[in-house]
Amino acid sequence: MKILTLNCGSSSIKFDVIETDLELIQQGADYSIVRGLVEKIGLPGSQIRYTYNGESYKDVVEILDHTEALKKIIDVLTGDSPHILESLEEIAGVGHRLVHGAEVFSKSILIDEEVEKQVDECSEFAPLHNPQNLKGVRIAKEFFPNVAHVGVFDTGFHHSMPPYAYIYPLPYYFYRKYKIRRYGFHGTSHRFVSFRVGQLIGIPREKLKIITVHLGNGCSICAIDHGKSVDTSMGITPLEGLMMGTRTGDLDPAVILHIMAKEDLSLHQADTMMNKHSGLYGVSGISNDLREIIEVMDNETEGVNRARLAFDMFCYRVKKYISAYMGVLGGADVVVFTGGIGENAWQVREVATHGLDFMGIRIDPVQNREILGREGDITAEGATVRTFVVPTNEELVIARDTVRCMEGVL
Amino acid sequence: MMEFKRIGIIGGGVMGGGVACNAAQLGIHVIIVEKDEPSATFSKEQLSESLDREIAKWGITESDKRSILSRIEYTIDLHDLADVDFVLDCTPEIYDVKVSIVERLKMIIPKEIIIATNTGVLSVTDLSSKLENVDRLVGLHFHYPVPDRKVVEVVRGLNTSDRAIQVARDFVQTLKKEAVEVFEYPGYITTRAIVPFLNEAMHIVMEGIATIEDVDKAMRLGYDLHMGPLELADSIGLHTVLAWMEHLFKELGESRYRPCPLLRKMIRANKLGRKTGEGFYKYNEKGEKIV
Repeated sequence: MKILTLNCGSSSIKFDVIETDLELIQQGADYSIVRGLVEKIGLPGSQIRYTYNGESYKDVVEILDHTEALKKIIDVLTGDSPHILESLEEIAGVGHRLVHGAEVFSKSILIDEEVEKQVDECSEFAPLHNPQNLKGVRIAKEFFPNVAHVGVFDTGFHHSMPPYAYIYPLPYYFYRKYKIRRYGFHGTSHRFVSFRVGQLIGIPREKLKIITVHLGNGCSICAIDHGKSVDTSMGITPLEGLMMGTRTGDLDPAVILHIMAKEDLSLHQADTMMNKHSGLYGVSGISNDLREIIEVMDNETEGVNRARLAFDMFCYRVKKYISAYMGVLGGADVVVFTGGIGENAWQVREVATHGLDFMGIRIDPVQNREILGREGDITAEGATVRTFVVPTNEELVIARDTVRCMEGVL
Repeated sequence: MMEFKRIGIIGGGVMGGGVACNAAQLGIHVIIVEKDEPSATFSKEQLSESLDREIAKWGITESDKRSILSRIEYTIDLHDLADVDFVLDCTPEIYDVKVSIVERLKMIIPKEIIIATNTGVLSVTDLSSKLENVDRLVGLHFHYPVPDRKVVEVVRGLNTSDRAIQVARDFVQTLKKEAVEVFEYPGYITTRAIVPFLNEAMHIVMEGIATIEDVDKAMRLGYDLHMGPLELADSIGLHTVLAWMEHLFKELGESRYRPCPLLRKMIRANKLGRKTGEGFYKYNEKGEKIV
């Protein structure tokens, strides 16, 4: 059956149509038919890009809102050139990426009105994401009224964390009153790559201890003990943990109070400063894109080379978390790099694992430079912990969970 | 709740520009109508500068700025508002100007579209009488600076319909602000309550009881206020404060609204506050207080 997956952002919708069913999942033979992105919705230069049969297509067209965007996706799917679907009837279910499920949702779920309401209530933890995700659900239900709609949560995979990993050392009162705790994100990604690396090694993840390192626009790392997430670096929001493109990651909270007082910043300004002006961009002053930083970081400059500093900080913090999670797991069998940076930036993988031989992690420098944007084993000979690169595929997880929910086997 | 996709704002000054910015940041398309091309160019520049100041305060990014500006278009033709969901008049609080706008709008804006006027003092009932559908005019009282101030007074005139009130409330909520509903009466809540407070602080200074700095310090620290009354008066603009007082004094006739002579004296010396570089304090070109 064909499952449409949707990932609705504030000005974009990612979509994918995946051929899958329980048998194909079992065989690992499910596959993407067409995938694409509508971007700059409601902005000048809005466009739809997609890939079908190895060919890339792009259409720059005015798309004023998400309803129009989804209509455009449907036009693409049912158009004549390329001819992708005979009719919309072929879509058997729609899977939605939902960011925050708080403590309410531990696994993927069929979205009915009650679920929509509960997701809406979780919006206070993800005010920029959940409302947009829900908007996508509501619009998609109008276009696909007779099929199942399934929500797959970023936070879902981390529900297995023990309380000592997810409770913050604040007065317990705040957990009881507001459910302030670590929830973690990128769950579908950590879940997929841990599953996939088990397949590559030939040992199911239920028998492995794995550290998954997702380095993309947002970055997070996860300790997975026999298939279950036991700790992850992002917290109640995606701001905690590793240094990111424009986000701070871990920080002494007193720093923010100090800056707010000194600069007379409002809550909103402080929030934006930490989320959009910091990280690689804030430190380097050049870019939030690691590729651009790597390009210039070895240039001779006077004074502090901030691009180099940003790169070193980024890698150092990845190394610190890998080391911490080695301790959390009591040693790991596998480390997996994924996400745009994790899959492509060999420099990060090299620096972030440098000096970890003592705990069994050592990568092969040649293999490491060769495995770019594809699956591969980059373990050095003699290392006791294997290191892999595995491109993530969140859409596949969403499609598979949609099927499982529809078949009642989740 | 009503969904606002495209709104019209008449007058792109600090208030109109502020609301436009606020709305555009939330994905709403805004058409700002200015009286002529030079005014439109000036408003556009002012808005761009105010966004630069917000970038400097880390509140938005360069890319946020581009996206906000891409959602705001300027025109000098009121007819360009014919297909908007909601109209907000943000022209200066001059009776003749607002009357002329309302009279022109009634010819252009479809009857079912609600029209709001941003005012702290003028009568919504009086303005609505210039419309054919008198019940579709509602007052909104935004506070400066608009993106930072979380409350808006929704003013019900004698003719204002429940639907107009609800649409105005929805608009305020869409901007992520709190609405408080008031019946039309001079000064509503905020202006009426703040005016005697500012006036009294000026009297304390005029009578030589304490220095400007100490009056502000005492009130700021004593009552946990963000800024003292005299600095606040500077930031509102002393001529605006005087206009409010005169309005309240004229409408209500009570001596507690009689403007402090020190205020009049400062205005005569063109010490209008932050915007002229001097009021009770001195300010640099960026509008920052010189300590």
